[in-house]
Amino acid sequence: MFRKRRKTSDFDAEIEAHLQLEADRLQAEGMSEADARMAARRAFGNRTLARERFYESRHWRWWDVLAQDIRFGLRMMARNPVSSIVAILILAVGIGANTAIFSMLDALLFRELPVRQPQQLSLFGQGQEAGTETDLPNRSWQLFSYPFYREFQQRNTAFSSIAAIDSIQLLLHGRVGSDSKVEKLGVELVSGTYFQTLGVKPLLGAAFNKTDDRVPGGAPIAVASYAWWHRRLRNDSAAIGTKVTIGSTVYSIIGIAPRGFFGMTVGRSPNLWIPLAMEKQISPGWNGSGLRKKWVQSLYIVGRRRPGVSVREASANTNLLFKQILREYVGPHPSPRQLQEIRHARIDLRSAATGLSPIRHQYSRLLKILMAVVALVLLIACANIANLLLARAAARRRELATRMSVGAGRWRLIRQLLIESALLGLAGAGLGIALTWEASRLLLRMVSDTPGQPLPLRVTLDGHVLGFTLAITMLTVLLFGMAPAFYATRLDLFSSLKEGRGMTAGRGRNRLARGLIVGQIALSLALLVASGLFLHSLVNLLNVHTGFNKQNVLLTSIDSGGAGYKPSARLENMMEQVEKRVGSLPGIQGGSFVLSVFDRGSWMSGISVPGRAKSQTDPEVDENIVGPEYFEAMKMPIVLGRSLAPSDNAAAPPVAVINQTMARAYFPGVSPLGRTFSVHSLKDWASLGEDGRPWQNIRVVGVVKDAKYTSLKEKQMPAAFYPHAQHNGPFFLYHFVARVSGNPRAAIPEIRKAIHAADPHLMVGDFATLAEVVDSSVHNQQLIAQLSTVFGIAAAFLACIGLYGVLSHNIARRTNEFGIRMALGAERRDVLWMVLGGALRLILVGVGIGLVLALACSRMIASSLFGLSAYDPAILLLASLAMTGTALLAAYLPARRATRIDPMAALKYE
Amino acid sequence: MLLQGTLDLLILRTLIFGPEHGQGIARNIQETSADELLVEHGALYPALQRLEAQGWIAAEWGTSENNRKARFYTLTKAGRKQLLKETTKWRRLAAAIGRIVGPETENG
Repeated sequence: MFRKRRKTSDFDAEIEAHLQLEADRLQAEGMSEADARMAARRAFGNRTLARERFYESRHWRWWDVLAQDIRFGLRMMARNPVSSIVAILILAVGIGANTAIFSMLDALLFRELPVRQPQQLSLFGQGQEAGTETDLPNRSWQLFSYPFYREFQQRNTAFSSIAAIDSIQLLLHGRVGSDSKVEKLGVELVSGTYFQTLGVKPLLGAAFNKTDDRVPGGAPIAVASYAWWHRRLRNDSAAIGTKVTIGSTVYSIIGIAPRGFFGMTVGRSPNLWIPLAMEKQISPGWNGSGLRKKWVQSLYIVGRRRPGVSVREASANTNLLFKQILREYVGPHPSPRQLQEIRHARIDLRSAATGLSPIRHQYSRLLKILMAVVALVLLIACANIANLLLARAAARRRELATRMSVGAGRWRLIRQLLIESALLGLAGAGLGIALTWEASRLLLRMVSDTPGQPLPLRVTLDGHVLGFTLAITMLTVLLFGMAPAFYATRLDLFSSLKEGRGMTAGRGRNRLARGLIVGQIALSLALLVASGLFLHSLVNLLNVHTGFNKQNVLLTSIDSGGAGYKPSARLENMMEQVEKRVGSLPGIQGGSFVLSVFDRGSWMSGISVPGRAKSQTDPEVDENIVGPEYFEAMKMPIVLGRSLAPSDNAAAPPVAVINQTMARAYFPGVSPLGRTFSVHSLKDWASLGEDGRPWQNIRVVGVVKDAKYTSLKEKQMPAAFYPHAQHNGPFFLYHFVARVSGNPRAAIPEIRKAIHAADPHLMVGDFATLAEVVDSSVHNQQLIAQLSTVFGIAAAFLACIGLYGVLSHNIARRTNEFGIRMALGAERRDVLWMVLGGALRLILVGVGIGLVLALACSRMIASSLFGLSAYDPAILLLASLAMTGTALLAAYLPARRATRIDPMAALKYE
Repeated sequence: MLLQGTLDLLILRTLIFGPEHGQGIARNIQETSADELLVEHGALYPALQRLEAQGWIAAEWGTSENNRKARFYTLTKAGRKQLLKETTKWRRLAAAIGRIVGPETENG
């Protein structure tokens, strides 16, 4: 219905008429005209107030009412300060933790890079793999060679600009300025087009230009990250031109990247960007030897599509050119196999707007699990607050009944109660956001697996995050505010007013409160089950038999390339010197260079055994290159034949020690000793410019016990170990291990000294014990286990408080009833059992629902568990018992109070 | 001070006897409740305003018995229904309050 709006003048006229009529009447009753007018005014009261009311009713009514509700809500909060503060704190922690985790997920998964028009950027492949590929993969390509990048750059029409990034981010050692101290430097090698393609303008100085990657060794320049400039160069605007020495090359810093730009890779931030032209100088080993080779693929490629070119067009264009280039690579007479591989090879374009990240998957799962856990805790907290409000609403029933009786509508009261809840929620959210800041910093620190170094992520409070916070706040307000509001206003005036503090409990409230308790117990149990599973999984991981003795082994890195060594006899000589000097230190049982160490990457390859038919199912072999003392240092026992010896040198025929699994897989039923095999996947070995001979006809001289090589979770792999004296090829053995008796930390200075005695220019990195490396490899599992346990206990605690509160309240209400029962002869024990029995029913229903819930949810975490089923009966049982036990304890306290009721006092009380 | 719900009820009740203007309603309430309920005539107008907005009463300018211009209110159909509802509620409430307050003779 549409009603015409009334004018103020009309209202004035009505009041005027009223006064006139009243005056007329009074005059008729015998008053003088002047007196009558005055009396009419007096009877009318405050005329301005009436006008104001009229005005408000037209304009500000809703706002006025809202403001009134808010004022009233604040008064109600102030009247119950303790419960309000508790509720706000619980909400703040819940909302703050959720927001912090969401803001990290947001930064990791959804945030666009701070570059020009990120939507135009396309990544070739998924950006998940990192390393070097020397084959012609017959699938979606992930990594690309430098010649391919150049070829593509010149011939494509879909992209206005393309850039290449080395998939391996290097941690090097170098000197800054005239400082003599060697420090760590994270370096990312990029093409000259990198900054231009991304549209990132340097904060200071200049960026690279297009031609900077063309001439090998021709561009000793670097762009520094903002964070490094800030930390290391103290924001010095005169930092442009600063020299950085890495290996034997001196680089000059030509620009500083803008703040907030961490590179393309989310969660990994280099200190310096250096042109790809310097690859050989930066990384003279394994990587650096192949940049100019067309089959050495180790780069990511990212392109900016021309305006108006769709992803589909760009994809078609890219794949067409891709196959043309591949055909040219294999030459005019390709083999049928090569043609087959080219047919299946393709490039999948993926949006690069949110950057690329090999670690994204790893952390996002961790964060999602944490978020689910924290959300559950928030849910339980909501149930607790709902119970609190319910108790408050019960106490206010008479007030509400009175207000309804004098005309307040039910919706008005519901709105009023929801506004009170919303005030609680907003206060909680406000405090929660303040907490978020600290919580995110803490999380970045906790999640990072390098101690003391937070994950480099841009976590900021932006629209996304605030929107999320607001959404969960509103959700929680509705969750905990709705039920009490409806309950409190579902009134039968007559009975509520009569009820007062009588004997009969409010049935509706009780049912609701019990429902909330059951829900809380169910959710807490699900959390306890989850934390039990995670803990058990962690214990399983830590109890995995590694096959080596991680105690008292020190691990460090020695950057020989950085000290100017090339693959040569001189390098080998130095390595022998270092091993000998360290090994002869008192209290050291063996030192050895090693190619791959636990959790720091590995090299897998296929092998072939003469006289044995090849099969598709042959397992790849984990290849490692070590010194003669390696097995001694790691305490990996030789079970057959001999260990590697100093006599296995370049002049001797190539040998290997293999593990038991390899012996079983490749030499079944016979002794592997004296038999030979070849490492064949390096078919392009020659293209790396290296001699492939040491990799043919390798003779097995010993069998070593099986061990774990890359992670605790790995299946048992075949493995082979080669002496570094025979493989002084493109490999630089970066790692060094030594077994120490006694305190490992105390031996570090001695070992450093011994290494420097062999060559004072060698750069030695940080030391860690192998035990620390193994433990940090399960860092994420540890974090999940710890946090889910903390939250699980917190949840169970909240549920118990809820149960305690509801029971206490009930018993207070039933004082009278208990008094009568006891007066009629009920024993204290009977009363105790009556209360406990009621509580136990609630608890058991909650535990039952919780078990169903836990079973339903276990599937989601099954993939994160190690060595146990998600339906582990022992854990389900244990969690149920723990929950039931603590809940019964929480019920016992009020139950005992019920038994202490003095019947006489209870009966007099009413 | 008169309570809101009650005032609405009294206005609706007064109008059941036919159209009346504000001053008439005020007088009426005052007389039927033995001068006890209504304190100020001005307080009546926001209530009239509200009832009109809810569609329970309708208003029209007309002429009073003594030939003055005045705004006359009539009870609408919805208003009649509302009156019935309010009356039952009020009766029950009055009874309940009576019980709580209790007979005057007892100490309390």
